[in-house]
Amino acid sequence: MSSIHVSRRSFLAGASAIAATTTFGSNVSHAKSLPTPLNNIPKGTKFRWVDSGDQKATFFKEFFERYGEARDIDIIYDPLPWNEIAKVVPLGVRNRTAHDVFVLPRNFSLADAVNQGWVQPFDDFIPNIGEWKKGFPAGAFLPGINEFEGKTYGLPFTSNKRYASHLLYNRTYMESAGYDPESRPLTHHEFRDAARKITEAGQGRYFGFIIGGSQLNRWADVVRNLGRIGGASAGGDGILDADIDLRTGEYVFDSDEYIAAIELLLSMQSDRSMFPGFINLNAPQARAYMPQGAAGMILQGPWNIPSWEGQNPEFDFGLSSAPVLQTGKQGKLTISQGGAKPNTLSLWSGSENGAVAGEIFHYLGTVDGQIEWANVVGAGDPPIIPEAVDKADLSPRSKRVLNLFNDQIRVGPNPLVRNGDLAKVVASYIAPDVNFARTVQGLVAGELSGIKEQMAKLKDRYDTALDTAFAKAKANGARVDRSELVFTNWNPNVDFGAADY
Amino acid sequence: MSILETLRVYRFHYFMMLPGLLLAGLFVFYPILAAIFYAMHEWSGFTAKKVFNGFDNFLILFQDPIFWNAFGRSIVFLIGTVPLQMTISLALAMILNMQLLKLSTVFRTMIFLPVVTPVAVIGIIWTFLLSPFNGPVNSLLLDIGLVSQPIDFLGSTNSVMPSVIGVYVWKWLGITMIYWLAALQTVPDDVYDAARLDNCKGYRLAFYVILPIIKPFLLAILLISSVAALNVFPLIMSMTNGGPFFSSEVMEIFIYRTAFATDDGSIPQLGYAAAAGVLFGAVLLGLTALKGHSTLRDRKTTPGSDA
Repeated sequence: MSSIHVSRRSFLAGASAIAATTTFGSNVSHAKSLPTPLNNIPKGTKFRWVDSGDQKATFFKEFFERYGEARDIDIIYDPLPWNEIAKVVPLGVRNRTAHDVFVLPRNFSLADAVNQGWVQPFDDFIPNIGEWKKGFPAGAFLPGINEFEGKTYGLPFTSNKRYASHLLYNRTYMESAGYDPESRPLTHHEFRDAARKITEAGQGRYFGFIIGGSQLNRWADVVRNLGRIGGASAGGDGILDADIDLRTGEYVFDSDEYIAAIELLLSMQSDRSMFPGFINLNAPQARAYMPQGAAGMILQGPWNIPSWEGQNPEFDFGLSSAPVLQTGKQGKLTISQGGAKPNTLSLWSGSENGAVAGEIFHYLGTVDGQIEWANVVGAGDPPIIPEAVDKADLSPRSKRVLNLFNDQIRVGPNPLVRNGDLAKVVASYIAPDVNFARTVQGLVAGELSGIKEQMAKLKDRYDTALDTAFAKAKANGARVDRSELVFTNWNPNVDFGAADY
Repeated sequence: MSILETLRVYRFHYFMMLPGLLLAGLFVFYPILAAIFYAMHEWSGFTAKKVFNGFDNFLILFQDPIFWNAFGRSIVFLIGTVPLQMTISLALAMILNMQLLKLSTVFRTMIFLPVVTPVAVIGIIWTFLLSPFNGPVNSLLLDIGLVSQPIDFLGSTNSVMPSVIGVYVWKWLGITMIYWLAALQTVPDDVYDAARLDNCKGYRLAFYVILPIIKPFLLAILLISSVAALNVFPLIMSMTNGGPFFSSEVMEIFIYRTAFATDDGSIPQLGYAAAAGVLFGAVLLGLTALKGHSTLRDRKTTPGSDA
């Protein structure tokens, strides 16, 4: 827990240090803006905020210090890992001690938070909120997603348009292996070959490919995105659309593209091209080995770019698309409508500090605030307003990765927009114990065998889990049907707009 | 004397017990009762509504292979650690109990050091030591030619449990050794003198003289070590997180994962996890009761005891 209430002297010293850090991080210096005073805020107000930290913490720690000083209020900022958020937020709501502003646990929808009385609308704290919303791109605010009964409950201030398993590579090693992924994406065969050549050249000092294999979601992310780039048309990353072809409503675990992705991982494992002990590394550990030169390639997210550029400026790395199929067939990645769900901010129903939240929310939704955000966070969590991306001081790599996302990612249908009652299915859903990520980990670890057989069984397990969730939701009065996951008019290669529902 | 009479006579003693009883109520009895209550409900922890479902959670648990595998792994861990820990620590205690050994205090301290080091620190350090990438253990094995390829101790489903068991035994060896040393203090000097006069030494002294005398301590140390071996959450979380692919997922990790750390965005199952916790707690309670029973029996059979 970090209280950001400071004396003027320590504020000035701290601000200088933070400014230096920030400048070091993004290699640029920026004029710092502050939220426009909109509301009457009593001096000495104590205001609490919790989110999942990472790059966000770099921005918010510095921002809250400046804002708290300017408004003479005490801001307590708690950046927490997701497993802590899953405990702290529900407990806080139940005990009436929740943070004023929080992100929801990953497995809890905003619709349910509204139904359970966890959150309150913030429309009254942002003057002329209708005009303000017009500054956001179309689809940022949607009924059933962050608007309920005409009121606004969620702030979507970062873009969903990114994926967590594009290629990041050591340029020196890759050139020695004879490949240039920036000129064109590597095929599966080339990716495997590059990993093998880098490993051979490393002679035990460095290896071709690294993955944070103890962090289960990495396995699902990598296979899902390799599969989708290979052309397996599957929806976004939510319970009602992940790994489901929304044209048919069927899971695609047993598709040729998903199976090819797992075969690629297994082939690198049998080549001994993967970093030793990868299965016991978490994602931050795996990422940290890259600038140390211990691995040549990683399939990871854009948040590495500002981090490596800031902390390891001598590290020469490139980035590209995740590998594509041998046939050259390429599909698009799909995201759900709205902002990035994990970053969507809400105001606790018991908070008496809506005025403070309103000012900050308003600022984060202005071009100034978005530019400030982008200057610090970079491509890791891109701002939702496109104009901010254009105006921000982003490194060439950050710009390149955002262009890659624009090229590879399309907005898909969101079943929750079609029928808000489907949130009750999400709230009833219990994933199988041997889920997608664990199955891939089990195959790579050698605990499971037979990819096709395992993926077919996996599909059956997920079908059963989803059908059970639908049955429970119906029993609880929800008007839902699994056929509502079918969007026959969906073309995965183009954005699915409001008019397409 | 009736209960009321007892209460009246010993009222000051009972009054002095109240603070302890209050704390035990808050931090022991209430959580146990709450766990039993939640175990009879379907509840995610996110919603205010808890649906009473009687013994359904227990019935589902009995049919859950992941639960039984975790339960089995806890037993494997118990069987893998306790005999090893007790045997090695007994041997060390006997050696260090020799009065002629001048550096025994230094050795005792060194063996005891891992006990006072935080478990998470031990877990993280051993993860680095056992790493197949530049880990000192693998470097040593490669240097002396025992292996041609580094061993992925914590990344292989075959070697992860033996590795964690090894680290656990190393970590807690010192405490069991202290128990044994305390037991050895009960052996009168006369016994050693008599044995010396009879030229009884070495393994004969150990097996035929000392061990029979300290035998009553065996069951108590065995049960204390057994209960401890079922509480390994921080070590396994810091070393393997229960993986790879469930291969080091013991009961506590199963409970934690089901209650808080669900994958794939699914909702937590606090009721189900509570049911698993109640079952596991019952096993621990059984072991503790066994210990109580053995202590009582020892008191009855030890000459000079009050019983």
